[in-house]
Amino acid sequence: MLIITRNLWKTYRVGSEDVHALRGIDLEVEKGEYFAIMGPSGSGKSTLMNLIGCLDTPTKGEYILNGKAVSKMNDDELAFIRNKEIGFVFQAYNLLPRATALHNVELPLIYSGNGSKDRMEKAKRALAMVDLADRINHKPSELSGGQRQRVAIARALVNEPSIILADEPTGNLDSKVSREIMEVFGKIHDQGNTIIVVTHEQEIADYTQRIIYLRDGKIEKVVRK
Amino acid sequence: MRRVWESVRIAFQSLFANKLRSILTLIGMIIGVMTLIAIVSVINGMNNYVSGTINAMGSSTFIIDKYGVITSEEDYFKAQKRKDLVAADISAIAKNCEDCAMVGGATRKIIITVKRRNLSIGGTFLQGVTPNFLEVTDYDIDYGRSFTKSDAQKRRSMAIVGPDVVDNLFPGIDPIGRNIKINGYYFTIIGVAKPKGSTFGVNADNWVVIPLTTYEKYFSNQETIVIFAKASSYSRMEDAMDEARVVLRSRHHIKYSEPDDFDMMTSEGLIDMFQNFTRIAWIVLVGVSSISLIVGGIVIMNIMLVAVTDRTREIGIRKAVGAKRRDIMWQFLVESLTLSLVSGILGILCGAGVSLLVASATPIPSSVELWSVLAGVGISSAIGLFFGIYPAMKAARLDPIVALRYE
Repeated sequence: MLIITRNLWKTYRVGSEDVHALRGIDLEVEKGEYFAIMGPSGSGKSTLMNLIGCLDTPTKGEYILNGKAVSKMNDDELAFIRNKEIGFVFQAYNLLPRATALHNVELPLIYSGNGSKDRMEKAKRALAMVDLADRINHKPSELSGGQRQRVAIARALVNEPSIILADEPTGNLDSKVSREIMEVFGKIHDQGNTIIVVTHEQEIADYTQRIIYLRDGKIEKVVRK
Repeated sequence: MRRVWESVRIAFQSLFANKLRSILTLIGMIIGVMTLIAIVSVINGMNNYVSGTINAMGSSTFIIDKYGVITSEEDYFKAQKRKDLVAADISAIAKNCEDCAMVGGATRKIIITVKRRNLSIGGTFLQGVTPNFLEVTDYDIDYGRSFTKSDAQKRRSMAIVGPDVVDNLFPGIDPIGRNIKINGYYFTIIGVAKPKGSTFGVNADNWVVIPLTTYEKYFSNQETIVIFAKASSYSRMEDAMDEARVVLRSRHHIKYSEPDDFDMMTSEGLIDMFQNFTRIAWIVLVGVSSISLIVGGIVIMNIMLVAVTDRTREIGIRKAVGAKRRDIMWQFLVESLTLSLVSGILGILCGAGVSLLVASATPIPSSVELWSVLAGVGISSAIGLFFGIYPAMKAARLDPIVALRYE
């Protein structure tokens, strides 16, 4: 099992009140799965994504990722896990604006200490996988939205993580480009990658094998296809 | 190492991306380091110059002066009441001071106009000197001859002049043996000195010296002279000074209980005095430059805080893909270090420029000291590190979730 969460709670303190963003999430994900987390805003899907992505730790409960208990890790240990195990794709692309596509894709490898030759090779391979081999020296401002998101996907792939976490990956794109991006995800899933897509669009969720619906911090239902 | 280069690259990128802001950011540090380098080189040059000049008189030389070291108005009025030193004092000391190898003297300089036919030159310094005076100053006779004892004894109307006097009054003519006119009196030129250029903007080549005895004859409004004497050896210096003191006290009729009405200074004493003076100047100026260094550091801290805010999202991205706290910390520390080192190096170059300018415009042999360059680099990097720590820590502590959402 790649991901096991048991009774995951996340509580924020807002003023004098406790707000429970997640109220006991139990989730199991196998290697190679492709599924979506859906829910209206405030349902806790962003919070869940932050926890799965090791950007945050739960208030209560357990999270085991690839055999490692990450729920009690500190900042730097989480950074290490993110570097090795997680590839993020964000709605707003989140590329470094002044860096080339190649350099953006290299970034995770810089923090895992790879040599420059190795970095360059891997980054080029990842960019080729998203059909951007001819754009490696372009800066984000010189690329279209769809191309930017593909650079972001290449960055997520480059360090061969256990999970690729995509948070509203098509939120800034029109439907045609959205389809292209989802096809890219489909392709990399076929190569054996585990992909989790967080979205509020049913159309996007329909590309996946399993949809988890969240409401008020709990899993409302799970739909398998 | 790779990450260090990455940060250096980012620092240069943002430096060039915003040139005006960069200049304004770095200028405090640049001025601070520049002053430091310039002060050290100029003061060292001055010390060398002054000790060189004073040492040219020889370490066994001492000076007798009516005024001595004046540090207050009161001192000055007291000294003014003293008796003037005159040419006769020189011969008296020469006669009675057994341990003196040489005794000479010179008047203070007065400003006159020198004429020849319809030509004239103004602002010329006139000084009456004993023949041996020229031997202990750094005036070199270019051509012609110096004064002899008999010139002095016979109060001959002879002059040695600086090259400017020749250039203005004898264009293309050999001046030796020809006459110049000062205050209606004629003097025959017997020697011309080598050019020396100007010191602190004061021309050092526009002057005339005549024998001290001749000076007393024609310029009766003369003031006190300065006497210098050289002991027969360094070990006899104390004795020579005592003997000269006795001569002057008896000539001035000073009672046993009263203090001297003149001042005696050794060349060592003069050098010490000068170095004490420059030490104070040094402390003051280093204080000033440290203030601008600190201000420069604060400005760099400010710009780094702006950089952290500007790049909050970038920090979030880097953390999301696996940057640890220390990675972010180092990135920003290296960046502030790069900024401060760049300004340090620019400051060193500017300081070296000032030092070169001083060396070429004045006779002060100011040269950049290696230790001050090392200090400049060391201090600027220390400041960059110190003032970079807070912004870097702020960056390193950012929560990636918050940073990623930052607009």
